Amino acid sequence: MASMKFYCDAERCIECNACVTACKNEHDIPWGVNRRRVVTIKDGEQGERSLSVACMHCADAPCAAVCPVDCFYTTGDGIVLHDKDICIGCGYCFYACPFGAPQFPESSAFSSRGKMDKCTFCAGGPEEDHTSEEYKKYGRNRVSEGKLPLCAEMCATKALLAGDADVLSDIYRKRVINRGASAFEWGVNQLKG
Amino acid sequence: MMVCLVMSVFQAQAADPPPPPASLLSINPGTDLWREVRQRDGEIEGISQVKSPGANVLVNVSGQSWREYRMQELVPKAGAAIMIVLIIIAIFRLLRGRIMLENGRSGIKILRFSTSQRAAHWTTAILFVVLSLTGLTLLLGRKFLIPVFGAEGFSNIAVAAKFLHDYLGPVFMLALTWLFILFVRDNIPSPKLDLQWFLKGGGLFGKHVSSDRYNAGEKLWFWVASIVGLAVIISGLVLDFPIFGQTRATMEFYHWVHSVSAIILIVVSFGHIYMGTAALEATFEVMKTGYCDANWAKDHHDLWYEKVKDTGEPVSQTQAQASPAPGQRQSTEPSG
Repeated sequence: MASMKFYCDAERCIECNACVTACKNEHDIPWGVNRRRVVTIKDGEQGERSLSVACMHCADAPCAAVCPVDCFYTTGDGIVLHDKDICIGCGYCFYACPFGAPQFPESSAFSSRGKMDKCTFCAGGPEEDHTSEEYKKYGRNRVSEGKLPLCAEMCATKALLAGDADVLSDIYRKRVINRGASAFEWGVNQLKG
Repeated sequence: MMVCLVMSVFQAQAADPPPPPASLLSINPGTDLWREVRQRDGEIEGISQVKSPGANVLVNVSGQSWREYRMQELVPKAGAAIMIVLIIIAIFRLLRGRIMLENGRSGIKILRFSTSQRAAHWTTAILFVVLSLTGLTLLLGRKFLIPVFGAEGFSNIAVAAKFLHDYLGPVFMLALTWLFILFVRDNIPSPKLDLQWFLKGGGLFGKHVSSDRYNAGEKLWFWVASIVGLAVIISGLVLDFPIFGQTRATMEFYHWVHSVSAIILIVVSFGHIYMGTAALEATFEVMKTGYCDANWAKDHHDLWYEKVKDTGEPVSQTQAQASPAPGQRQSTEPSG
């Protein structure tokens, strides 16, 4: 059984935000909701790195653990999805999530947040595949068409990878080897200098 | 490399054992990056084009501890606390039974609560019960109600519970303030009398203990309700109005305050509700009608009775008939 994962290569991400734009466009996501975002650490300093982050489809998902109405489920591909008909918009998943993935369409008084929205790994939701209800609530269902999430497919530098965890780790391992174990090389460079 | 060798030989002479090579002494920038991503040295903010609270933080480190608190501490311990208090009350009931008036009814009633005091009490009480039930629904419903109503059925209940909880919370703040103002005067602790009351166990397991208008137990509940109630209200307002850019850590902290203080209020309220209804004869009617029986006042609040015994008035004809045999009651409830 596959276990679908995202991986973002910090040595390749150039903070172009194309993944964010592709996601918003593909799923017709409302203003204020961002299923994916790019965060830059040490902006303008030595060692600046960017990472694109969205729902990481955890094996032991904290959102699912704390949900008071149990609206989350994990598909056979290891994708964490939720049922918007059951979600009550309490915001607990947002407090528990390590990655800030859950998003809410509203933010107003009396704790009104609307139904939670998050990255679906382009796998839709519990509605029947390719129906207008599914598209309206969860966006495009690319996985059922045999395609991978659009953010990763669009990534110009192939920093953002999506797919089966084993395949991704093979790709990343080869990259690290080809880079000549940069950490070690960095140490050697220090000695030369 | 030559420089390095010379350096290491030089250092080996100076100190023992020789220091590790310089490449290991320097921090690997990759390690540095991941330490920052995982927020090992406290929360480090990056920048992001997405501008929502917390969007510039890569990893929310407080999420895991909040998850552990909610799932491994709060849910089981709240359920256990409620069960334990209910069991204690049941044991007390078995030991003491219903505590009757020592000399039966006197047929004389004394005004104990004004109409506004009763209105404030019942407004606060009804709001408290609704807020407790809706709060417990959201806390424990997944465990106990989903098996009964199914996921979709429970979702409808939870939506209603969240709506009532979010909108009635601020109303509870007004009601509790009103209650506090009306009741605080007679709830000021009187150390000697109150200490005596506690030392004698409040008369729970023996004879009545001397008490003024409110006994020390009632005063304790008043101050618990006021102080812990204040914590519930302040934390509730922070949670209810997430429109001031509160961070996740802030919300998690106030959720902790709100849940702990709410559970304290709920379990202590069980004691108050039991003592006010089924435990003692002729007690529920006091808050219902505003009047207490003179013998009830003598039993439970002897010092207060001495002050107000001249204000007693005979119970009206219909009430007097109804009192000995409630089954034969014909008239409407006393107007109070």
